[in-house]
Amino acid sequence: MMFWVMAAIMTVAATTSLLVPLARRTKLQAAEKEFDAEVYHDQLREIDRDIESGLLTGEEAEYARAEVGRRLIKASKAASRKTVASSPLAGAARYVVIVFLPLMAVAGYLAIGSPGMPSQPLAARIQPPSNENSDIANLVAQAETHLASNPEDGRGWDVLAPVYFSLGRVQDSEIAYRNAIRLLGSTAPRQAGLGQSLFAQTGGIVTADVQAAFQAADDLEPGNPLSSFFLALGMAQEGKLVEARTAFSDLAGRSTPDAPWMPQVRLHLEELDKRIGQGGEEAVPGPDKEQVAAAAQMSDDERREMIGGIVAGLDERLRENPDDLEGWLRLIRSYMVLGEAEQAGDALNRALENFDAGSAGRQALTQAATQFGLAAEKVNQ
Amino acid sequence: MIVELGHYALVMALAISLLQSVLPVIGARRPDAALMEMAPAAAIASFIFVLLAFAALTVSYVTSDFSVQNVWENSHSLKPLIYKFSGVWGNHEGSMLLWILILVFFSALVALFGGNLPFSLKANVLAVQAWITAAFLFFVLLTSNPFQRLNPAPIEGRDLNPILQDIGLAIHPPLLYLGYVGFSICFSFAVAALIEGRIDAAWARWVRPWTLAAWTALTAGIAMGSYWAYYELGWGGWWFWDPVENASFMPWLAGTALLHSALVMEKREALKIWTVLLAIMTFSLSLLGTFLVRSGVLTSVHAFATDPLRGVFILGILVLFIGGAFSLFALRVQTLSQGGLFAPISREGALVFNNLFLTTATATVLVGTLYPLLLEAVTGAKISVGPPFFNLTFGPLMIPLLLAVPFGPLLAWKRGDLWAVCQRLYFAAGLALLTALAVTYFATGAPVLAALGIAIGIWLIAGAITDIALRSGAGRVAVPIMWQRFKGLPRSAFGSALAHLGLGISVIGIVTVTAFSTEEVTTLKPGETMVSGPFALQFEGLKPNTGPNYTELQGRFIVSRDGNRFATITSAKRIYTARRMPTTEAGILTLGPSQLYVALGDETPDGGTVVRVWWKPWVTFIWIGAVIMSLGGITSLFDRRLRIGAPATRKATAVSAGQET
Repeated sequence: MMFWVMAAIMTVAATTSLLVPLARRTKLQAAEKEFDAEVYHDQLREIDRDIESGLLTGEEAEYARAEVGRRLIKASKAASRKTVASSPLAGAARYVVIVFLPLMAVAGYLAIGSPGMPSQPLAARIQPPSNENSDIANLVAQAETHLASNPEDGRGWDVLAPVYFSLGRVQDSEIAYRNAIRLLGSTAPRQAGLGQSLFAQTGGIVTADVQAAFQAADDLEPGNPLSSFFLALGMAQEGKLVEARTAFSDLAGRSTPDAPWMPQVRLHLEELDKRIGQGGEEAVPGPDKEQVAAAAQMSDDERREMIGGIVAGLDERLRENPDDLEGWLRLIRSYMVLGEAEQAGDALNRALENFDAGSAGRQALTQAATQFGLAAEKVNQ
Repeated sequence: MIVELGHYALVMALAISLLQSVLPVIGARRPDAALMEMAPAAAIASFIFVLLAFAALTVSYVTSDFSVQNVWENSHSLKPLIYKFSGVWGNHEGSMLLWILILVFFSALVALFGGNLPFSLKANVLAVQAWITAAFLFFVLLTSNPFQRLNPAPIEGRDLNPILQDIGLAIHPPLLYLGYVGFSICFSFAVAALIEGRIDAAWARWVRPWTLAAWTALTAGIAMGSYWAYYELGWGGWWFWDPVENASFMPWLAGTALLHSALVMEKREALKIWTVLLAIMTFSLSLLGTFLVRSGVLTSVHAFATDPLRGVFILGILVLFIGGAFSLFALRVQTLSQGGLFAPISREGALVFNNLFLTTATATVLVGTLYPLLLEAVTGAKISVGPPFFNLTFGPLMIPLLLAVPFGPLLAWKRGDLWAVCQRLYFAAGLALLTALAVTYFATGAPVLAALGIAIGIWLIAGAITDIALRSGAGRVAVPIMWQRFKGLPRSAFGSALAHLGLGISVIGIVTVTAFSTEEVTTLKPGETMVSGPFALQFEGLKPNTGPNYTELQGRFIVSRDGNRFATITSAKRIYTARRMPTTEAGILTLGPSQLYVALGDETPDGGTVVRVWWKPWVTFIWIGAVIMSLGGITSLFDRRLRIGAPATRKATAVSAGQET
């Protein structure tokens, strides 16, 4: 309704603006030819100025004056038509304007416009919807505004995280899972979801982050197919081919043959067989499954001690075999988890010595450093 | 509601311009004052309504209203605010709306400042403007409507093409369109004069400010576009002879010719027919440019054939206006009286020379632009007419023209004394030749053409200065009087001198860059150094960085000369998140008039990065020259002589003129 009121005001304004000159009995004070004469008078004045300033002299000046003078005479002799102020035609034109303008505007608009359709700016669209046609995007937007003002609502994050993931917003999904874990505690589905979000961001590489998440999921719910699959994949990517094959066949043994992940598992098993046949090498082994499982049984202090031991072992191995980027990342991460920032910074610096500026390894380390808030002496050099 | 009101306003503007197309013409024929007086009112009203529509679309962009299809296709909620504004015309529909906005803006200017125009001429001019406006409003509303709605609104937009996310988009298209569309006024004046069947020296005087304004804006717009392409595309080129560039260059060449021939017509009432023809041609070339760029015919003739509605529509407009104007011209040309006579060696002669070469150059560019299209349409063969064609044809045409420029302003009207002018130009010619010798001497083995090119540039600059100096009476009167005269010179004298001087500066920039720039392409690992021109660049490596709607890898270089580190250059490779589209952000270090230009290439598997470095001596002269040319245009535009009073106020102006002298 408001729209048509505004449209009516616009229509009246437009019509009036055209009607005023048509209704006014305009008196044109000058004849047409006087406009020409004005220009030539001006040209004469210009020639005078040029003569005065010495730009035009003698014959040239005379010729110029004479020529413009002739134009002036010609212009003043020209027959002038008599302009009438307002003829009956103008009266007819008034009716044309009154009828045509609103008709054309309204009919034209109705043919192509969407009258009554409200504007939907971003700010309005993320308001709570008044009717039932709220789609998933709307719900997400609502949840976001809610969480923006209540960031400690763990349940909100928990609900939103998988939705983000299914929308392809994997970075947001990661943040949501982390918040849910922080506020509601660690569960296998949350950790596995976090692992998946991270995995989607790395472009298919099981990094230390991804592995840690799935490991946590596996600890909470041993044998969960999702975490088993990604942990096995991680081993394969690390080069621990035999272990990876064992893990994949474990998973295959536990699953029904028509389980949705089975085609992938079979693919990996085939590939691993091939690689082992070619004599793929084993990379640096990390803490093995028993060790981690044992860690889960211990008290906090004992676990710290044991993990500390494993980390120290890894540290030692990296001194001998410093080209292992994945190892370095895991080491830095482990130190951070143990709360030993100084050690982590030290590890980072040692790691950086092995990777040239601009290389992918250095980038990964730099990224890890930023992620952990580590200031390495060599990062920015 | 704002969107729909904008839509309604646009339809209303169409209705108004339809009335404005018909009633004033009838009024001018009768003649009926009331009907003629309706034209300015309608022109201002349609400007206001198009402005409302444009404002509504802008609001939709700024508030990210993705229920408007055009906004959804070309915006993103995370886009920085300035690009939400400039993004309004960063797409087909929005830029057509801007085109129309500028068209009605010019009509409104004529309505407001056309008090010195005869009533019937003014009414006819505004009616012709309304024909163009109505045609393009039909085009926009029927084939390219920016107010198309989407319900329900998508949650996020598709973002603006990253190459357009630049301050250049805020400046270049509006300036370019001011020029392009500004020539519509000259076209309307020409058609209106043909309708009335009366063209005289006064007509040329009335058109001059509009030609000047359009030319000034077009010059600045093309220069801005050239600089934008130079730094944004990452190839270090400032002109590509690309069809889109040619589309804007052709009206400029024709418009420059028009500017000069209108001068002859104004002073001597000669070249009348030719000037009218040029006025029609210039805007026709603008229309042709709009067709080439907007119909999609450039990407491929076949793309045009698959979605023909838009292309055919603009082609129809093109045929209607160009064909109509030329038919009218053919019909009336017999009735136009001949103008003043002049000897070949005279100011008029020089300007005819200028026109001859400029129009030939325009024709050359036209052929080079259209030939590949026609060939593809007829035989299906895709060829590209590149810089070699234009360098071989356009280049040689420019040399005699540039050589002749300084003569023009010094020759007398009607019949001039070439020998006397040559003598007056001794100083300029001597300076130019000396420079040529110096350049050859200092750069032994330097291309002779480069030396000549720079000499031509100096010739233009020195010629422009000579012109002003002689007009001030140099060598004939004492210095204080010279100063007095200098101050008293008409603005248009300064304007033309500035424009010619700017041209010289541009020529020097073009020649220097073409002849002396160097390009190095190498693969650098962090810490490694490369040499470009007199400089050494040390690569520091790539560093990730995140912007509002993109992520990038920044490469930093430390620049040193003779071992002194004095600057750093940062170049980057960006990925825009929404479209996953990579762009190269060139790193440019300006040193005086010269620039060091660094673009990052791909990374190599062994940790190196491909780096392209150009050393471009005096490259900024190209654009500085163009800016000076535009300043010349503005200076001329403010010549008080262009403000001719209307007859009713004649006495008042006569008195004030008397006081001035």
